[in-house]
Amino acid sequence: MTGPDWLTLSIMLPLFGAVAAFILPRAAAGLGLATVAATTLCVLMMADRVAAFGAVTVPLGGWGAPLGIELRADGLSVAMLALTGMVGLLVSVSAIDAFAGDRTARQRHYFWPLWLLLLSGLNGVYLGTDLFNLYVMIEIIALAAVGLTVLGGTREALRAGLDYVYASILGALLFLLGVGLIYLQLGRLDFAGVIAAPPSAAMTAALAVMFVGLALKTALFPLHVWLPAAHANAAAPASALLSGLVVKGALYIVLRLAGYMPALTEDILTLIGLMGAGAVIWGGIQALRADRLKLLVAWSTVAQIGLIFVALARAGERGLSDSWKAAALLILAHGIAKAAMFLAAGRIKDEVGHDRIRDLDRSPIRPTLAQVTFALAAINLIGLPPSLGFIGKWQLMEGAMMAGYWHWVAITMIGTLFSVAYFSRVLAGFLRFDRVRGGPLAEHHGWSGADAAPLILAGAAVLLGLAAGPIIAFIDLGAGGAMP
Amino acid sequence: MSEPLFLFDLLLALAVVAIAAAALLVRDAFAMIVLFVVFGLLSALAWVRLAAPDVALAEAAIGTGLTGALLLKTLHHLRARGMAGWEPGAAAPRPVPRAVASLNAGLTLAVVAGLGVAILGSPLRVTGLEIAVAEAMPLSGVDNPVTAVLLNFRAYDTLMEVVVLLAAIIVVWQVERGADAAPAPSLGPIWQGFARLTLPAAAIVGVYLLWAGAEAPGGAFQGGAMLAAIGLMLLLTGLYRPHPDHRATARLLFVLGTVAFAAVALLVAGAGRASFEYPQGHAKTLILLIEGLVTISIAVTLTALFHGREPAALKGELRHDP
Repeated sequence: MTGPDWLTLSIMLPLFGAVAAFILPRAAAGLGLATVAATTLCVLMMADRVAAFGAVTVPLGGWGAPLGIELRADGLSVAMLALTGMVGLLVSVSAIDAFAGDRTARQRHYFWPLWLLLLSGLNGVYLGTDLFNLYVMIEIIALAAVGLTVLGGTREALRAGLDYVYASILGALLFLLGVGLIYLQLGRLDFAGVIAAPPSAAMTAALAVMFVGLALKTALFPLHVWLPAAHANAAAPASALLSGLVVKGALYIVLRLAGYMPALTEDILTLIGLMGAGAVIWGGIQALRADRLKLLVAWSTVAQIGLIFVALARAGERGLSDSWKAAALLILAHGIAKAAMFLAAGRIKDEVGHDRIRDLDRSPIRPTLAQVTFALAAINLIGLPPSLGFIGKWQLMEGAMMAGYWHWVAITMIGTLFSVAYFSRVLAGFLRFDRVRGGPLAEHHGWSGADAAPLILAGAAVLLGLAAGPIIAFIDLGAGGAMP
Repeated sequence: MSEPLFLFDLLLALAVVAIAAAALLVRDAFAMIVLFVVFGLLSALAWVRLAAPDVALAEAAIGTGLTGALLLKTLHHLRARGMAGWEPGAAAPRPVPRAVASLNAGLTLAVVAGLGVAILGSPLRVTGLEIAVAEAMPLSGVDNPVTAVLLNFRAYDTLMEVVVLLAAIIVVWQVERGADAAPAPSLGPIWQGFARLTLPAAAIVGVYLLWAGAEAPGGAFQGGAMLAAIGLMLLLTGLYRPHPDHRATARLLFVLGTVAFAAVALLVAGAGRASFEYPQGHAKTLILLIEGLVTISIAVTLTALFHGREPAALKGELRHDP
């Protein structure tokens, strides 16, 4: 390793930023934004190196695995880091506006340390190659995420936050149990050791326990019960971070482990796909029934996460070496689009004064920029071309069709129909003007700088679909060693 | 294995399971906490018997002592806020139907049995990283293998565990301001005399645990928990009263360990060394420096977690005064 150690820096910078924002609350916003920008710069430098040399490894402490811990950046890691950096930077920009003013001073003071700790934890997960280290990182993510959930301080948010704590701790403990079982079997916890492990009932049991823990954390049906309330009741920037980024941490670990499962048989993959299918259908039904805009968006997260698991299972055991790429694309697409959508929903709620879907078309206030953002994000989540979500779904269905697994194609289609239906509930409200009550129509109301960040995110999610070729090539970089 | 010790181990194992079951079955919240503390102490004893004194110390100090104190503090809060069913002697509410509980228990048993069959059916690897640790020990700068793993070989994990504690106190400070104030629990004036006698001794034990960690069981987390016990006594006896003006200092003390640890990890890099790679000959000095500062942060953070809220939320200093 020559030159600056961008890997360690991308974990340490947000850590120092969090400390600085915590001890200097008045300067928290400035410090926070600067830290996120600097961290994103680190990720770009790292991307440059990975593009040039393939995977980059840093043996922390100079010991090397399995005694010490190694950080490793390959194409998939950097893609996740870049997603985190891009979404994080734009959410940060909109958080400055959302938490401006005296009324939200307390939220502002605590948002930044928590979000920066979260960034540190997420970056640590994407660079980690040691199972115990991943456990520590998901604990940091969980604590920071719970803090962000209850930031608003409302009774509903506190209630949802408590449920989230229980789910999160249980998930982490199950993961830790699996880590302990693997150590008993192998005597080491680094990825290289896990890859080389001979298949055994004990390894399958350990990985299964870990999978259940991670499924709880990423809210895979039927372990999703904590998510809708937690994501719907948080403040808008916090919701964007929770839905866009936090659930991706556990998803990424699943994706990595999927490559190492010694006995990831057809049956287990089908089971994972069925859980995903359950999420797609149940999430869709609940999103259709939701009465609040943010709750609808939260339920759509449950459905979209299910779709990512369907992508993982799309072509069975033989297709797994390619399926993870479809899942990764859907993760990237969902991360960007969902963050944009939550920010837009928050803006609409702020301007209109409520987020009851039924009454959106009665309001004379029409925050059109936020509505356009919402529509662009919906295009991406529904999967219309040329968005990144379209490419992800295309990859999913192509693989499933080639393997002859038409049932996964059908599930994807059903999920798409559901998403068209529930997003139409909202979009129809934006476009109807015949039920307006209480004053003259105020179109283009509330255009402000705060609309810029979500709009850029939503636009990026759509346009990145045009760059899908290079993105797929990039996430494949250095995958040979880690994704057998 | 000598006969009396075998009998002791058997009784200990049975007692741990029995106390755990009792803690789950008892309906009174206070009794539940007491049983939990007993459970923790017995577990600590079991760790000693399993030749893991470091884990035993951590279990006794943090898992049992501080967690027990936190649980009692929570109970105090619930009672002060008049939560139904939490009055002294009253039964805890029982929202879970018996059928659901038994179904859960059955499923859990099935899963545990399945795990047991899978694990016991496969050959266990009896050696872990012991050989690698033993080989690297001379380079680690300390003589206690546990400290070598925590502060050198896997210092990155330990740094992040310190960060977990920092995250916890940030979340608690943030959340607690949303809740109404409850009168702080306090002990009478007689306890102040007790505190004056015991606190210096506790301080010496805490610092000893930290110092001994280099060669023998002990270390920053155990020492920090011991020193936090002093903080608890200071809070309970009213010898120390948190004040909004102390917040800046408190914040600095919370982050001290994280900053020192992370700064050392980054600054030692360069000249061919990776992050966390201590220069040869300086490992022991740096480890002691990190451990010392981390101990202070752990002690102050655990004390603050017990106090709970950010001092700004105090509705005046009234609630401490008679």
